[in-house]
Amino acid sequence: MMRARQAIPAALLLLALIGVWELYADLKGSDFSTAILPAPHQVAQALYNDRSLLWSNFLVTAKEVLLGILVAAVLGALLAIAIHFSPTLRRATYPLLVASQAVPVPILAPVLAFWLGFGLLPKLVVVALVSFFSVVVTTTAALAAVDPELIKLMRTFDATRLRTFVHVELPSALPGVFTGAKIAVAVSVIGAVLAEYTGSNSGLGYVILVSEPQLLVSRAVAAVVILSLFAIALFALLGLIERLAVPWVYRPRGEQPV
Amino acid sequence: MKRAILVTAALALALAGCGEKKETVTATASSPQPFTLMLDWYPNADHVGIYQALADGDFTRAGLDVHVQTPSDPAAPLQLLAAGKVDAAISYEPEVLLARNQAQALVSVAAIVQEPLTSIVSIGSKHITTPADLRGKRVGDAGIPYQHSYLTTILAHAGVPISTVKEINVGDNLVPAMLSGRVDATLGSYWNYEAIQLAQLGKHPNVIHMQQVGVPDYDELVVVVRKDTIVNHPDTVRRFVQALARGYEAVRRNPQAGVANLIKASPGLDPKLQLASVRATLPAFFPSNPADPWGWQDPTRWNAYGQWMLTQHLISLPNAVVDASTNELLAGQGL
Repeated sequence: MMRARQAIPAALLLLALIGVWELYADLKGSDFSTAILPAPHQVAQALYNDRSLLWSNFLVTAKEVLLGILVAAVLGALLAIAIHFSPTLRRATYPLLVASQAVPVPILAPVLAFWLGFGLLPKLVVVALVSFFSVVVTTTAALAAVDPELIKLMRTFDATRLRTFVHVELPSALPGVFTGAKIAVAVSVIGAVLAEYTGSNSGLGYVILVSEPQLLVSRAVAAVVILSLFAIALFALLGLIERLAVPWVYRPRGEQPV
Repeated sequence: MKRAILVTAALALALAGCGEKKETVTATASSPQPFTLMLDWYPNADHVGIYQALADGDFTRAGLDVHVQTPSDPAAPLQLLAAGKVDAAISYEPEVLLARNQAQALVSVAAIVQEPLTSIVSIGSKHITTPADLRGKRVGDAGIPYQHSYLTTILAHAGVPISTVKEINVGDNLVPAMLSGRVDATLGSYWNYEAIQLAQLGKHPNVIHMQQVGVPDYDELVVVVRKDTIVNHPDTVRRFVQALARGYEAVRRNPQAGVANLIKASPGLDPKLQLASVRATLPAFFPSNPADPWGWQDPTRWNAYGQWMLTQHLISLPNAVVDASTNELLAGQGL
C-alpha cells in the first residue's frame, strides 16, 4: 500500500510529460511526427504492431547487456582488488582506465570486427568496456573505506592478510561492485546499441539503425522505450540481487556488525 | 500461385542457360565454400538481387556458402575487405578509387547500379529544378569530401558563384533536414530512396541527376574484391559475380518476389518503400547496352571519373585509376 502510494509522483510526472509531448507533436503536424519525432500514440501503435519484431530483437540486445555487465562486474571487481593491494598498479592503470572511457565506439568498430568478427563477442567487449569503469571506481572506493580499526583488530587476532581480506575487506567491497554495476546499467544499454551499430544483423540497436533512414521513427522510438524499460528493470533486479547477496548492508540499525 | 513461381523458376533456368555464352562455371563437388559479402549499408532495395540469388540457391549452385554482413558505416566494407576479413564488399566507385589511392589493392569486379544514385533532391515547393536555382540557397550534404566537389563542379558548370550557396553538413539526416526546412535542397540523397520517401509523403520532390549537370558519369554501387583474390582464385569471384547476375535478372522478371525475399531476410524493412525503390532502380541494375553482360563497367567512364577525381585533388595517385575495375570475371568475358 505504502509502495503504491510512493509510485504516484513518478506516474503523474510521466503522464504529464507524455501529455506535453503528444500536444507538441500534434501541433507540429505530420511532417514532424513522421520523420523527426513521433507522437506518443504513434509510438504505442508501433510497440503493438511491431511487437514480434521488437521482442525478437530485444532478446538479442538483452543477452548482450546481461553478459556484458556480468563480464564488467567480474573484471572490474578483480581489477579493483588488484589496485587495492598495489598502489603502483593503481598509478599505472588509472590514467588508462579514464582514457578508455573516452574512446568513441565507432573508432573501435573496425578493430573489433577485425579481431572478433561480427557475432556476440565484439558486442560483449563494447558493453563491458563502457560498463566496467564505474565498477572499478566504486569498488576501489568501497575497499579504501574499510574501517582501519577493523583491520587492526584482525591483526591483533594474528589473522593472515588473506583472512583479513576475506573477512573484512571483501564484504565491504561487494556493495561497491553492486553500486558500480547499477551505475553501469544505463550506459551498458547505450553501449549495446552502439555495439550493434558497429555491424550486426539483429538487436534493438540494429532496429533503430534500419528504421531511422526508412522514416520509421515511431518504431525507432518504440525500441528506445523498450531499452529504457529494460534499464529500469535491470536496475531493480540488481538491487534485489544485492539485498540477497550482501544482506549485512541492509541490516536494520543497531544490528550492524561491529 | 505456387505454380506460377515454378513456371517462372523453370523459365529462369532456361533463360539463364541460353542467355549466357557457353562457359564452364561449375561448382566443386565438395561442400560449398564459405564466402562473406559485406554490404555498403543496411539491407535495402539496391541489394534485392543478392537476396534473390540467396533465396533461389544461385550461390549454393555456384559452390558458395554466401554470408551477408551489414557494416558499421559505409566506410567499413573496404577497410575490412582490405584487411582480409570479408571476401567481397559492396561499395561505391568513388570509395574504390579513394581506397586505391591509399595503396589498397582492391578492384571493382561488377557494377550493381550503373549510374549515380547521388543526386540533388529538394521538396517541390522550393522550385529547385536546375543548378541555377541553387543561387542563394542552403544545400545540405553528408559532409563527404567528394560530394562537396560535386557541388563545386555543378555550380561552376552552371555559372553560379560558390559563395552564393550555403553548404551545411546535416550528416545522415537528409530527409529530416528537408522536411524541417533547415535546408532548401540536399546533395547526397539518392533519387531511388530519399526522393521516393519524399514522394510517398506527398512532397513532390525535384531531382537533379549528377551526370546531367557536369559530374562525370559513374557506377554508384559496385562489387569489390582484393586483387590477390582475382589473381589466386579468379574462379571463385567469377562464380560469385555470375550467381549475383542471376539474382538481379530474376528480380527484373519478378520485382515483387525479389522484394519479398529481401524483406524475408531483413524483416525490419518497409515493403512499400522497398518495392517502389526496386521498381525505380530496375533499369539502372543493367547495362544500357543489352549486349553487355550484367555488371558491365564502362572503362572509358571509369577513366573519366578517375581523371575528374585527380583534377579535384580528391586522389593524388594516377595509378589509383588504372585498372580500378575489370570486366574479366563477368559472364562471357575474359576467357
